[in-house]
Amino acid sequence: MKKQYLSLLVLISVVPLLGGCWNQRELTDLAFVMALGIDKGEKKKYDVTYQIVEPSNVSSGQTGGGGGAQGPPIVTYKSSGNNLTEASSNVTKQIPREIYYAHANILVISEELAREGILDILDKLERDTEFRTTTTVVIAKDNRAEDLVSTLTNLDKIPSYKFIKTLESTESLLGENIKVTIDDLLSAITSSGKEPVISGFTLMGSPEKGTSQQNINMTRSQALILADDLAVFKNGKLVGWLGQNNSRGAVWLLGRMKATNVDFDWKGKKDAVSTISNLSDTKVTFTVKNGKITANINIETIISLSEINRAFEIKNPNEIQELEKKTSVQIKKEVESSIKSVQKLKADIFGFGEKIYRQHPKLWKKIKGDWNNRFAEMDYQIKVKTYYRESGIRDNPFWSDINQ
Amino acid sequence: MEKAKISTKQLFALVVLFEMGSAILVGFPKNLKQDAWIANLLGMAEGILLFFVYYRLYLFYPNLPLTGYLQKIIGKWPGRILGFFYIVYFAYLSARVLRDFGELLSSTIYTRTPIFFLMTLLMLTIAYAIQKGFEVLARVSELFFVIVYIMAISGFILIISSGLIHLENLKPMVENGWKPIIKTSLKETLTFPFGEMVVFTMLLPYVHLSKKVKTVCISGMILSGINITIAAVINIATLGVDLFTRSSYPLLTTISKIQLLHFIERLEVLFMLYLMIGGFIKVALFYYVAVAGTASLFKFKDLRKINLPIGILILLTAMIIAPYYSEHIVEGLDIVPIYLHWPFQIILPCILLVIAFIRNHKKTAKEPAP
Repeated sequence: MKKQYLSLLVLISVVPLLGGCWNQRELTDLAFVMALGIDKGEKKKYDVTYQIVEPSNVSSGQTGGGGGAQGPPIVTYKSSGNNLTEASSNVTKQIPREIYYAHANILVISEELAREGILDILDKLERDTEFRTTTTVVIAKDNRAEDLVSTLTNLDKIPSYKFIKTLESTESLLGENIKVTIDDLLSAITSSGKEPVISGFTLMGSPEKGTSQQNINMTRSQALILADDLAVFKNGKLVGWLGQNNSRGAVWLLGRMKATNVDFDWKGKKDAVSTISNLSDTKVTFTVKNGKITANINIETIISLSEINRAFEIKNPNEIQELEKKTSVQIKKEVESSIKSVQKLKADIFGFGEKIYRQHPKLWKKIKGDWNNRFAEMDYQIKVKTYYRESGIRDNPFWSDINQ
Repeated sequence: MEKAKISTKQLFALVVLFEMGSAILVGFPKNLKQDAWIANLLGMAEGILLFFVYYRLYLFYPNLPLTGYLQKIIGKWPGRILGFFYIVYFAYLSARVLRDFGELLSSTIYTRTPIFFLMTLLMLTIAYAIQKGFEVLARVSELFFVIVYIMAISGFILIISSGLIHLENLKPMVENGWKPIIKTSLKETLTFPFGEMVVFTMLLPYVHLSKKVKTVCISGMILSGINITIAAVINIATLGVDLFTRSSYPLLTTISKIQLLHFIERLEVLFMLYLMIGGFIKVALFYYVAVAGTASLFKFKDLRKINLPIGILILLTAMIIAPYYSEHIVEGLDIVPIYLHWPFQIILPCILLVIAFIRNHKKTAKEPAP
C-alpha cells in the first residue's frame, strides 16, 4: 500500500511539469506582427514599423458586426534603433503586449535603405527562433516602407495578406514579379555565382489617406498597394530596377515563369494576337571556346491562343506554325533585352555563375574572381521553342467571317 | 547481467533507432558541403566492416557482455580496469547525446526553459524505463519504430510534394576529390553513429535467437545508414549548401520550409517528436549499458540499485560538459572521435579480437574438439 501511495505522490508532483507552462504566453498577451517595414532611420540607423493585427476587428466584419465603432484591422507602431534588436526592444515602450514574430509573413525594405545595403538586417531575421525565413521580402519602390505597411487594403482585410496574395497571383498569371523569401535572398547573397533579385511594391495614391478607415470604405481606393518591377542587387546593395519591359525576360531566364501573355502583330495589325504560355522550362548550358564562355539558353513552352483580332485559319498547320514562330520571336526579344540590361548592371541575377560552377567546376575556380565582369561581357545564344496546344472554345475567330 | 530476452524484431528496432538517434540531427559532415551524404554512405560501409569485429568477439563468448569477456581475454584485473573505462565511455556518450537533445529543445521551442530542467525530465523518463528492465526498453523501441517510420515517410512525401527538392544543389559531385571524403568518413561518419554499435557488445547476449544476430544487426545498420543518407541528400537539396552548413539543426530547418496547400506548414514541433524518440532510445541505451556494465563489474545482483546514481551522474556530466552549444559540437567533431571513439570503438576491439583469436586457437589446439 505504502508503495502505491508513494507512486501516486510522484505522479501528482509530475503533473504541473507536463503542462509545459514554463514558456506559457497567453494569446491576449501577444502582439502578432504581420508585417515588418524597415526604413533608413532619421536619428538612428533604422526606423522599423511593426504592423500588428487587431484580432477583434478582423473577425467582426464577417459576423455582421456586433455593434460599436469598428477600428481598423491593424495598427502600426514605429521605433528606431541602430540594429533590429534595438528597434524591437525600443518598440516595447509603445506596445502593451509582447511582440510575437512567428506570423510575420512579409518584410518590406525601403528603396532608400536598399540602396545603402541590406546585409546588416538579415542575420537577426535568420537567427531568431520565432521569425520564419520563409517570410517574403519586397522592396518599397519610391516609397517609405512605413507607408506601405500602414496602408489599409480592400478584399484582404489584413494588409500583409494583400502583399502575399497579390504577389502570388501576379507571379502565376503575368510573370513580371517573383516571390523571394529571406532564404532565397540569403542563398543568393552567399553564393558567389548569383546575385539577388527582389520584387518591388509601390503605393499609388496618397499615403496619408491610406492609413484611414476611409480607404477601405470606398470603391476606389485612395491609396493602393501594387506589385511593381524587379530590383537588382549587387553586393547587398540595390543597383537598379529592371523596368517593366525587362522583368518578364528575367523571370523567363530565372526559370520561374508560370504563365504569361505574349502579344505580337498579325498580318499588319499591331498587337493583334495574344497567346498565353502555360508550362515552360528554361535550360542553360555553357560552352567554352578559346576561354570565351557562351551561354546556351533553351526555353521551351506550351502556348494557347487567348485572343486574335484578325482572320485566322485554325486548321491550317502553316498558320499555327506561324503563330508558334512569332511567339518564340517575341519571347526571344524580351529575354534578349533583359540580358542586355542586366549585363549593364554587372550583376548576375540569373545565377549563371552558379550553373557554371555546377557544370564546369574547374573552370569556375579560375573565373570566380571577376565573375561579374565576365558576366557583363558574356556571349549568349537564345533558342525558344513553343508548342501550340489549344484555342479556347472557338475555332476560327469571327474576323474570318467579317473579312470575306 | 539481468535475465532478459529480446526478440530479433526488437533488436532490429533498437539498432535502427539507436543509429538514427542523434545522427539524423547533427550527424552530417558539413565540411564536405554538397558531398556530405557520400561520407554518410561510406561511413555505413566502414561501420559494417567494423561490426564484424564485434560480431566475432560475440561468437567467441555468446553469453557474456563486453565487460565479462574482457576479463577472460586479457585477464581478471586488466579486464576489470578496461571494463571500467568502457563504462565511463558509455556514460560520457550518454551525457553527450542528452546534451544534444537538451540543446535542441532549449534553442528551438523551449527558449525560456532552463536546459537543466528539460534534460532532467528526459532523464527521469529514461531512468524509469531502465528501472523496469531491458525488456521494457526493447518493447518500447518496437512501438516507437512504427511511429518513427510513419513520420519519416510522411515527412519525405511532404517535402517532395512541396517542391522543395532541388537536386542540382548536389552538384558538382566530389568537387575536391575523394581524399577529404574518405578522411572525414573515417573520422566522423564511421565513429558517429556506426561505430557506436560497440554498445551492442553489451546487449547481444540478451538476444533470443543468436543465429540471426548478424543479419538483423547489419540490415538494421544498412536501413539506418540509408535513412541518414536520404536525410543528408534532402537537407542539401532543400537548403542549398550555404544554409545547410549554417544551420545548427539542418533537418529541422528543412522541415520548417514545408509549405503545402496553405495550411500544412510549420511542422517543426511535430517532427521534434520524431527526433526525441531517437534521442530517447540513444540516451537510454548508453545509459543502460553503463548501468549494466557497472552491475556486472562490481557484482551487483540487482542493477536497479545503481540506476539512479548513474543517471544523476550522467545528467550532471551533461550539464558541465560544455559551456555552450558550439563548444559541445566542436568537441564532438574534433576531440571525441580521435581520443575516444577511435580507441574504444576500433583499436581496442581489434586488439581484443586478435588476443581472443590466439587464446581460443591455443585452447582448441590443446584440447581437440570433441
